[in-house]
Amino acid sequence: MKKTRFDRGNLKYYALSVLSVSLLLLAWFVYSSSANAILSTPMEVIERFAGVIRSPIAGTSLAGHIWASLKRVLTGFIVASAIGIVLGICFGWFETFRDIVWPIFSIIRPIPPIAWIPLVILWAGIGETAKIIIVFIACVMPVVLNTFAGIESADPLLLDAGKVLGANSRQMLLSVALPDSIPTIIAGMKNALSTGWMAVVGAEMVVAREGVGFLIISGMDNLDISLVLVSIVIIACISACLTFILNRMEGVLCPWLKLENK
Amino acid sequence: MPEDKVIVNNLTKKFGDLLVLDDVSFTIGKGEFVCLVGPTGCGKTTFLNLLVKLIEPTAGEILIDGEPADPKRHSLSFVFQEPSAFPWLTVEDNIKFNLRIKKFPKNVIEERTEQMLKLVGLTQQRKLYPHQLSVSAEQRIVIARSFAMFPDLLLMDEPYGQMDIKLRYYLEDEVLRIWRETGSTVIFITHNIEEAVYLSQRCLVMSSKPTTVKTIRTIDLPYPRNVADPAFISIRQEITDMIKWW
Ligand SMILES: Nc1ncnc2c1ncn2[C@@H]1O[C@H](COP(=O)(O)OP(=O)(O)O)[C@@H](O)[C@H]1O
Ligand SMILES: [Mg+2]
Repeated sequence: MKKTRFDRGNLKYYALSVLSVSLLLLAWFVYSSSANAILSTPMEVIERFAGVIRSPIAGTSLAGHIWASLKRVLTGFIVASAIGIVLGICFGWFETFRDIVWPIFSIIRPIPPIAWIPLVILWAGIGETAKIIIVFIACVMPVVLNTFAGIESADPLLLDAGKVLGANSRQMLLSVALPDSIPTIIAGMKNALSTGWMAVVGAEMVVAREGVGFLIISGMDNLDISLVLVSIVIIACISACLTFILNRMEGVLCPWLKLENK
Repeated sequence: MPEDKVIVNNLTKKFGDLLVLDDVSFTIGKGEFVCLVGPTGCGKTTFLNLLVKLIEPTAGEILIDGEPADPKRHSLSFVFQEPSAFPWLTVEDNIKFNLRIKKFPKNVIEERTEQMLKLVGLTQQRKLYPHQLSVSAEQRIVIARSFAMFPDLLLMDEPYGQMDIKLRYYLEDEVLRIWRETGSTVIFITHNIEEAVYLSQRCLVMSSKPTTVKTIRTIDLPYPRNVADPAFISIRQEITDMIKWW
């Protein structure tokens, strides 16, 4: 088995990660302990975290805030994945569709999702829908782009194989091009989830009464720097969890990638 | 002479300025086993690609059963030179791929799959993915996939090039068996003259570029052939001498 080499590589990686994170914490500690630092110490942040768990903020518990944000992200993400995959397939497979719609898409694509916030609020109000739309805009781009790229760059040899085996064009798409693109599409979805998470925090910082973005803003409004830092750490942790879950899903959905040792 | 399965009329193919096939004409009879031999780069793969319409000829035509090839209607299989198993399908799902595409009945699909797994010795590995196997095993998946539908026209492009001798001998006998049992027409490309003489009823010897068919050598030795037979050796030598290898 080749396992030992892999393990040793991992060990070094973990050791260095622990070292660098420890150094960061140390630097934080040293700086924040100095007399005129505008930053809470790690202890204060931990205390604040305990406080947040015990008493609700603006009438909502910490779990409630996290769930509010997650719900927005997941709703926007799922809708964006469904629409994005279909749109990406259309771009990759139907030339006329691509020629007509791609220019429009290219104009919209570089606009940062949070730039849409004012317009979306005007159209959709300040309720949940507005935030979900912002997440949707953020998520849909990477899904479309990766699906498009995956379909367009499907292995020509496999396409030829499908063709000479007698596949019609629908079978070529669904049984050859699409499965060949799944790894690329999943990479796009991973990307989408992290941009969606960034967008929801942005949207909540502008208009919300619950959610992790709202926590940051209420920390800022009350000059509660510990709360701001607690929120940032929570945001980072959830982002890491989401990535972890998607990585696991990738293994389940693409077993032919996970087992690539001969 | 049985009726013609494949008719090649004045076939010419250029890639830009590169003239690959130059006014090639020949016919292949129904149920015939034909080998195409020629030096690397002479246009053997190009010919098969033209035959199944993956690329279009510059001039001339190729007909299967008197009409242009259409894989959706004609019963044909193609073993490409490079391994072309679908990486996202397990060994057995790869073998089932064209049976499913061609909508064979369920029981036939199951039965053929078992038969083919056994034939290429992958029954144990049926649930594995191609990447978990060696290149030669991946090629065996593709061979099983092509044999599985008992095609009327079986096209094989240097299928055994990656394999060790023992496996090659075994699969040469298997392709002969499938050919005999199903009455299919086989076009088999190889640059291994011994393999060509062992397998084919007729051997098309191609010249190097621009390629024409130099000779069509009929090989009327009875099957199974013996590579040590003096008649076998003399035909092998004769064909080897015909080809300008570089
Ligand atoms: N798509 C292509 N574009 C340009 N040249 C090609 C293409 N395909 C094949 N050729 C050229 O045509 C010649 C014949 O190639 P090929 O049919 O693959 O030879 P063989 O299978 O006999 O080894 C080679 O010189 C090759 O470089
Ligand atoms: Mg070739």
